[in-house]
Amino acid sequence: MAWTVGADVGGTFTDFYAVNEIDGRFAVHKTLSTPSNPARAITLGLEEMCRRNGIDVKDIERFSHGTTVGTNILIQRKGARVAVITTEGFRDLLEIGRQTRPKIFSLQEDYPPPLAPRMHRFEVEERMGPNGEVVQPLGEEDIALAVAKVRESGVDACAVCLLFSFVSDRHEKAIAAALGYAAPNVFVSLSSDIYPEIREYERFSTAVLNAYLQPAFDDYLTLLESNLREIIPAAVIGMNQSNGGLTSIGCARDYPVRTVLSGPAAGVLGAIDAGIRTSYRDIITLDMGGTSADVSLIRNGDAEICTSRDVAGFPVRLPMLDVHTIGAGGGSVAWFDKDGLMKVGPISAGAAPGPACYGQGGTEPTVSDANAVLGRLDSNGLLDGEMTLDLDAAREAIRPAAKRIGFTVEATALGIIDIVVSNMVHAVRKISVERGFDPRDFALMPFGGAGGLHAVDVARLLKIRTVVVPRSPGILCAQGLVVADKKEDLVKTARIRVSDDYRETAFLALGDLMAELGEWFERERIPEGERDQKIAFDMRFFGQNYELRVPLPNSGAGMLPDSDSLESMFLAEHRRSYGFANAGDDIEIVNIRLTGIGHRRNRISAGEAQPAADSPEPHSIRPVYFKPGEPTDTPMFHRRALVPGHRIAGPAIIGQLDSTTVVGIGDSLIVDRHSNLIIEIAQHRPEQR
Amino acid sequence: MTKPKIDPITLEILLNALRSVADEAYNALTRSAYSTNIKERKDHSTAVMDAKGRLIAQAENSLPIHLSSMAGLMRALLEKYSVEEIREGDIFVSNDPHAAGGSHLPDINLAMPIFYDGKLLAFACNIAHHADVGGMAPGSVAGGMTEIYQEGLRIPAVKLFDRGMLVRDIFEILLLNVRVPSERRGDYNAQIAACRLSERRMTEIAERYSADTLKVAFDEIIRRTENRLRAAIQDLPDGIYSFEDLMDDDGCGNFDIRIAITVRISGDRISFDFEGTAPQAKGNINSPYNASHATLCYVLKALVDPDVPNNEGVLNVCEMIAEPGSLVNCIAPAACASRANTCQRIVDVVIGALAAAIPEAAVAASNGANTAAVYSGQFPRSGEPYVYLETIGGGFGGRATKDGTDGVQVHSTNTSNLPIEVVESEYPLRVTRYELVPNSGGAGEHRGGLAIRRDVMPIDHFCTFSGQGERFRLRPWGLFGGERGENGRFALFNPKERRTTLPGKPMAVEVPPGTTISVQTAGGGGYGSPKKRSASAQAADLASGKFSSEFMKTHYE
Repeated sequence: MAWTVGADVGGTFTDFYAVNEIDGRFAVHKTLSTPSNPARAITLGLEEMCRRNGIDVKDIERFSHGTTVGTNILIQRKGARVAVITTEGFRDLLEIGRQTRPKIFSLQEDYPPPLAPRMHRFEVEERMGPNGEVVQPLGEEDIALAVAKVRESGVDACAVCLLFSFVSDRHEKAIAAALGYAAPNVFVSLSSDIYPEIREYERFSTAVLNAYLQPAFDDYLTLLESNLREIIPAAVIGMNQSNGGLTSIGCARDYPVRTVLSGPAAGVLGAIDAGIRTSYRDIITLDMGGTSADVSLIRNGDAEICTSRDVAGFPVRLPMLDVHTIGAGGGSVAWFDKDGLMKVGPISAGAAPGPACYGQGGTEPTVSDANAVLGRLDSNGLLDGEMTLDLDAAREAIRPAAKRIGFTVEATALGIIDIVVSNMVHAVRKISVERGFDPRDFALMPFGGAGGLHAVDVARLLKIRTVVVPRSPGILCAQGLVVADKKEDLVKTARIRVSDDYRETAFLALGDLMAELGEWFERERIPEGERDQKIAFDMRFFGQNYELRVPLPNSGAGMLPDSDSLESMFLAEHRRSYGFANAGDDIEIVNIRLTGIGHRRNRISAGEAQPAADSPEPHSIRPVYFKPGEPTDTPMFHRRALVPGHRIAGPAIIGQLDSTTVVGIGDSLIVDRHSNLIIEIAQHRPEQR
Repeated sequence: MTKPKIDPITLEILLNALRSVADEAYNALTRSAYSTNIKERKDHSTAVMDAKGRLIAQAENSLPIHLSSMAGLMRALLEKYSVEEIREGDIFVSNDPHAAGGSHLPDINLAMPIFYDGKLLAFACNIAHHADVGGMAPGSVAGGMTEIYQEGLRIPAVKLFDRGMLVRDIFEILLLNVRVPSERRGDYNAQIAACRLSERRMTEIAERYSADTLKVAFDEIIRRTENRLRAAIQDLPDGIYSFEDLMDDDGCGNFDIRIAITVRISGDRISFDFEGTAPQAKGNINSPYNASHATLCYVLKALVDPDVPNNEGVLNVCEMIAEPGSLVNCIAPAACASRANTCQRIVDVVIGALAAAIPEAAVAASNGANTAAVYSGQFPRSGEPYVYLETIGGGFGGRATKDGTDGVQVHSTNTSNLPIEVVESEYPLRVTRYELVPNSGGAGEHRGGLAIRRDVMPIDHFCTFSGQGERFRLRPWGLFGGERGENGRFALFNPKERRTTLPGKPMAVEVPPGTTISVQTAGGGGYGSPKKRSASAQAADLASGKFSSEFMKTHYE
């Protein structure tokens, strides 16, 4: 009994990870994705995995699912026809946005037009003030008129976006009720419901995106649910969200926008889990695949959260794991800019033709080709020999670039790696240094197909001392789904000046959120013992406009810190983030955030093996380039031959099904008892080129 | 002695690192400042300059107009202080256009020397537009001012920090002369922190690569950018191209102020000659040399190679000829708070001149303004003063392959608006409209973008309104047969909706509670003859309600 399955649908593969919560047995599985009907790969793959691993489908208790369906609907612009009802005078707000251009020096580039065209944006006479006071009442007739227009426009979904609805949602709710009555087939998204926070454009944009995704996402969920009900009727199904928590299918139906950045979030959860097992709680993750690299920061076992991101050119304001993505992957192409400088990415050779070394006709020099030329990829190929490497093609792809700068092919390949590594270092700095964190206090955890190839170089440049490579870097996302908690983020904008009696006002606002959270716990059927909650304040100096999130140490409303402690917590956070604090200035709370968590019953302790007494044997020794000039004879290992306790002195290359790990000269590796590779990085002044 | 060479890979990695120094400082400044101008509108820039004061790397989101203002301020600093007088831990502050190479007084520039192994290696610089620098009108940019002395506190290049110690006497003078000193102190702190952040980062980079390598890299970065831009100019047809346009007025009763340009392209050289441009104006629309030069750099880049990196190489390529004492190269004591409007017009004039040479890159005249609105007064209950400055976008000009963007900041400005919910939470004001203006884009094969209307009403108090409008009389022109965009206007609407039109540069107008202050900007000009506009595009114009059927009849039939 008691299997939990995670299924992560990606662009190319659908990954599965199953773990038995009682005896810790686990199984992994990969199947090709079926983009036209993603639910198909899930059901097929699920059955296949169970058959191959002797799992009785009846024993599956939980099924957690991460999907890019929402993201794809958006990128391919295959969402619904959307109408908007908004405050009179502000019909064009969604179109004007922040009235900026994406690139100041470009006369040609624009942001994408709104997903709701102007003719489907309708105004109603109403107005709330900043304190929720009604400046202009909303009349029944006006509601009826607007609803009639929505009906006539023949749209599938409607977003209701009124000013100051984050303070009072009365008017939005009244319109929703009327829509539900008069246009029951139209999906409705309220800006006050999706995420009730100040700054209208971002809130409206998020609501419109939600409306845009709703009908198609609903279809997908209906299909998925009915398919899964046939195979695993008793299992609890959880959908992953961008905040790194699961939610029910019902909730995902209402808030599809919460899933659009859930893909990278699952990997972060997997990293947290793998890290905690092996007692690393401060981790920077590096998920590098074929076209892009995602980086994130985990502090004390929790991923950092951000609340605004751009998705396909539209701002989304929701709590999301703070994952930063750059165009750096194995397929990233090296090219020369007009000033003669070499660049790598974001152009990618993609899956077809792919890097030249895949032998499928690619001719552009890519990061994978550079790795192949340097001897860092197993020449027996990828996927356990199912795919062989064409080293000559890789060399030929790089040769023209080498000629141009007067370097050898190998030195050029090293240069390509150096540039892609520098791009990743830049990305890591964004989520660490720019947020006030010192990367040296963190371990680096690479995953994805190409993370392990570059992790030691990235770590060295950031002066990170330890790299932790999880046991199955290729399916860490699916693994993350298995360990994910249920999670709900609530927010209330409440501007409270921090003074001796601030707690009275904060209690009131918090009380509303607590009541709301209580309903969520009930609705999601989370037993008392598994409930948890976290409170955080968004705070700033009075007069500033960006807030800093200050998590409160105690989770009960009765335990709010006194104003002095709160002030010192804020000042510390400001100093950490920006290097200074205007001590003595007034401080205010802007938002109160309450996060509800439905914990998993127990941490699954999967497969802990006994330490080995012997030393690992390399399957071969090959020349690998680590610096320009002569290659270094480097032992190559199969990951499956490594068991806990094994030690390897760098250089070394460790290959496994879908990923490769490079251990640099002077680095040392030990396999820990959870089969992670722990690499200690040798720090030395990098050589001048 | 031959200089050591640096290969294109190492240089790329170094340039990446230098950019990230500027970007990290930029973000730190955005997030920790107090001025709305900085935190929401992002009217600030950060850069790394070398020991000679040359611009090496600028943050990605820096504003074009700050490009050579920083360089100008560095020149003033290096002229005034000898190398021996510049010491580790110093931070310099300045803003004056006439005495310190600035472009208008609200842009406060900080520069911090960065030392490595005891030697001057570089400077960390940042510019931020403070919400107020004193002077006769809140916000320090209102019309009607005729001398720089009226516009606010003038700061030559002086030390704000001396070897790590705050020069308190200076700081006290800076703060006493501004309207909300506590907020400005927060802005200064944010700028100082950004300097120090850059200093730390540059030291790390020098440790990794050595100061000598960095110096070689600085030269090489500039050289390569210059060559890249020259190659793009080489591709332009040689010739002499002229154009001229008029500005509405200077806010002091002088109208139709001429900006004329002659662009000479020969091989890989390009020069911009402002011969025929009006003398400097009485009002505050004068543009100091550095602001005009920065604008030329913007438009050159935008037309021929938008992705060229921002550094001294761009400044070197852009040759500017302008009579001192003219509108575009003003001298003391010219007032120049609203130089941005003039700069916007310089962009239009240059594009107008080069349209025949590069029709595919040219765009019709845009909103052509940096329409500014300053609302100030006292909170009705507390009596505390407030100043709220907003710049409002308009229509972008029609383009060779598509319509001009509706309701957007154009050309050398790209500042965000302040969200309505933030305006109303922070100030005793209500925004009653923020919308596109139908029929305001000029007709054309590719029509001009629509203007914006933003209406604001004071609540329970008298609000003082000052503004800077352009293209309020003289409409943005179309290109190649495209028609003109609609002009903008400032107006008041009393509670009975009775309209009073204000001048284009109103100063300190008292607005009673309940009366609406309405700002409407200009729409963009069209590109190509309206006769060539496709039926589907016309249908969309009508269906969206962006154009009325009368407009369509008049202009397309």
